[in-house]
Order: sequence, then C-alpha cells, then structure tokens
Amino acid sequence: MSDLWQPLWLSLRIAAVATVLTAVLATPLAYAMARRRFPGRSLLEGFILLPLVLPPTVVGYILIVAFGKGGWFTRLLPEPWDYSIVFRLEGAVLAALVVALPMLYMPAKAAFGSVDRDLEDAARIEGANRLQLFFRVSVPLARRGLVSGLLLAFARALGEFGATMMVFGWQPDNVTLPISIYKAWEEPNLPAAAPAVVALSVISLGLVLAYNVTLARSRD
Amino acid sequence: MRRTVLIAGLLFAVAFASVASAATIRAGVAVSLKEAMEEVAKGYESKTGDRVEFAFGSSGQVMAQIKGGAPVDLFISAADKQVDELIAAGLADADTRRVVAGNTLVLIVPRDSKDAIDSFDALGKVAVKRLAIGEPKTVPAGQYAQQVLKKLRLTAALSGRVVYGANVRQALDYVIRGEVTAGVVYATDAKQAGADKVNVVAEAPKGSHDPIVYPAVVVKKSRQADAAKRFLDHLASDDARQVLKKHGFTEPRPTATQPAADKP
Repeated sequence: MSDLWQPLWLSLRIAAVATVLTAVLATPLAYAMARRRFPGRSLLEGFILLPLVLPPTVVGYILIVAFGKGGWFTRLLPEPWDYSIVFRLEGAVLAALVVALPMLYMPAKAAFGSVDRDLEDAARIEGANRLQLFFRVSVPLARRGLVSGLLLAFARALGEFGATMMVFGWQPDNVTLPISIYKAWEEPNLPAAAPAVVALSVISLGLVLAYNVTLARSRD
Repeated sequence: MRRTVLIAGLLFAVAFASVASAATIRAGVAVSLKEAMEEVAKGYESKTGDRVEFAFGSSGQVMAQIKGGAPVDLFISAADKQVDELIAAGLADADTRRVVAGNTLVLIVPRDSKDAIDSFDALGKVAVKRLAIGEPKTVPAGQYAQQVLKKLRLTAALSGRVVYGANVRQALDYVIRGEVTAGVVYATDAKQAGADKVNVVAEAPKGSHDPIVYPAVVVKKSRQADAAKRFLDHLASDDARQVLKKHGFTEPRPTATQPAADKP
C-alpha cells in the first residue's frame, strides 16, 4: 500500500461531503434544540449523541441493517431499484456523517444557547423574520462555536474507521486512509502504513490545534 | 479431623492429576474448516479426553497471530504459502507437516440472482457489478480465485469491480446478503451456507489454480507439542476423514513439499 494519494484523496472527499451535510443538518437542529422544549426532546438528543459512545461496530451494523441490501429503508424503494449503501461512496459518507454530527451539534447548541437574547429580540423588533434571524443574526453571533464544531466534525469524519470498514468494505485501490493502515497491519506490512499514519496524524493535529485556537479566540 | 483432611487432600490431588493429564490444544485453523474441525474435535475429545480449542480466521490472519506470539499449538492453513512462511521464520516444526484435506473452488451467486451467470467465463460477458473474493495476499481462497481470474483472462474485465473479504466466509456472506453479483469461495463454504442461501454456478476449470491443500504443522514454541501431534495423527484417521468428506472436503492431494497423509 505504497500509494498514499488514493486513500488520502478519498478520505478527504468523504470527510468534506460528510462535514457539509453535518453542517446543513446539525446547525438548524442545534438551534431548535437550544431554544425549544418539547416532549421527546431529551430522547431525540440522546439519539443524536449516541454515535459518540456506541462502538463503531454497532454503528456499522445498524447502517447495514437499515440501508444495506433489503434493509429497513432500502426495501421501501420501488421494485427495479435494488439499492444498497454497502461498498458505495454514499455508505462511507453516511458512516462519517453519523459520527461527525454530534461533534458539531454539541458546540453549536452551546453557542446558540449563549447568544445574547437581547440582540435577537432587537432584530425581531426591527422586523427580521425567522430565516433572517437565523442566518443574519444567530449564526454570525454563534460562529466561533460553529467553526470549532465544524473542525472537530471534519477531524472525526476523516478518522472514521470501524463503521466505514463494515459498510464500505475492502475494495482494492479504493480504500480510505484508516482502512489502508489497518490492511497494511494485517498483511502484515506495518512499514507500508507509515506514510498514511503520518498524514492522518499531521492533518488531525492541525485540525485540533485550529479548534483550540478558535475556542481561545471566542473567549475574548 | 486430620485424617479427613488428608483423605480430602489426596482425593483432590488425584482428581486434579486426572484432569491435568487430559491436554488442551489450541489450534489456529483456516476458517473454511470451522464446522468440520469442530465436529472432529468433539469426537476426539470423547475418545481421548484431550480438548481442542480453536481460533479461526483467514490463514494469513492466523499465521500473523502466530508470528506475533499467539499461544497456538497446531496450525492448519488453506494453502502452502502460510505454512512455508512459518517454517521459514523458524516458528513451525517442518517434520510434523502434513496435508489433512483438499477442496474445490466454486463460483456462487445469491439465491435470488437474476443475472445470467452460468460459468466463470460469463463473468467477462455479463454485466458484473461486483465480485467478492478473499483478499489474495492473506486469504488462500482469494489467492486461488485470483489465479483463476488471471488464467481465464478476466482480470481486465473485472478491474474495479472486485471486492475483498477479510476471509473466505466474509466473501461468502457478501453473496448471501446479495451485496455482490457473485463470489468465489470453496465448495465446502457454499455447502455450509446451503442451497437456500446461495447457488453454486460452476467449479473452477481444471488447472486454473494451484491445487487446494490444507497443510497442518505443529508450532515450535508449543507446550503441548505431543498432544498436538496426536491430534494431527487423528486427522488422518478414518473417523476424521469421514467427517471432512461429509462436509464436502476432498482427499488430501500430494503437494510439492509434502506427500499426502498416509492411509492408515
């Protein structure tokens, strides 16, 4: 596995798509959860945070049972469409998305929760509707928390291994960075994994440092 | 009181001694042999009292574990390569090497497959979305499968459509779940899964791959080398061979390195 580029590029693409989807899903969700109380709120939050503690094998298992061949959701598709996420890019993105989501959700919810309500009320008085309030007032005010959450989410998506291994599998010349490392270890050919290990460590360290810097700045 | 304690102590020592004389062997075995070996071991234990504990995996995985110092007494691989490597590394006793079984390689499809795949050659003509084989470097079934694909000149046609299983049973599982169009596994795996799960389409053409052999060897650092050798001898017995045959394994064939187990 001396080729570093293919796994690196694949992992970056998967993590990027997963992070964008995470942003789209988690930001409004965190906003709503920070503001409202409704029956079942705690339970919903529990499900969002579950991938944080569930073993990756359980996450992979659920994804396969839900979206694999004949899965709970895939079997609902119209007849000729025999779809499964297994071995597909969507599968890898979904696995990364599920584990990255709580990483953005938590800081986002905290950030939205600490936005000065007076500022939001002022905007409402000025005639801002819900959408304008969200995009032009709340999000900018919460941006430090959102950015730090996005960095964490991307880092988590990049490092996703267990569930991805189960869903995306082992496709020769089409492996993610973490999978390439594991497969080199299994051969066994540990030295071949070194470039991937270094790349992943350097990138992840950079992301965590950026996360720290973002957080530190927000204390001003 | 003292006499009671003494007698109790003696009884305990006797009981312990008789349990201690029954050995427990740890065998690292290619996963395709799983059910057959478990059955053989059951019969062996009721006959001799020796227990056999198994660790199953792809031959490459098991070999790597032994190399890493795993406490294994007996190694049974699905190809010569892994045993050769272990012997070359000085970890296995070459004098104990013997082939215990053979197998056939087959092409299988999911039970409700609608693709017109009726032979290995069809893989090059019909639209194959994905073909599952064992990973060739560590899984003998994948190694044999790759040889077949090469011999039949299907490698180019299937490029980018092959997915690897970490062992042959994972490749089998992909077919059972319908996640792949077809898979290459051992005839014994297909038999184990059953006709209600997979359809066997074809056997690999003669000469399209190296003969499938299951060489067994005693690990050098084993503390149960004698017990391991006894079990290895048992694998050549009629009882063991009957069980292997029942599961679909073929008679062990001579290989370049070791003649077939002697018939008793």
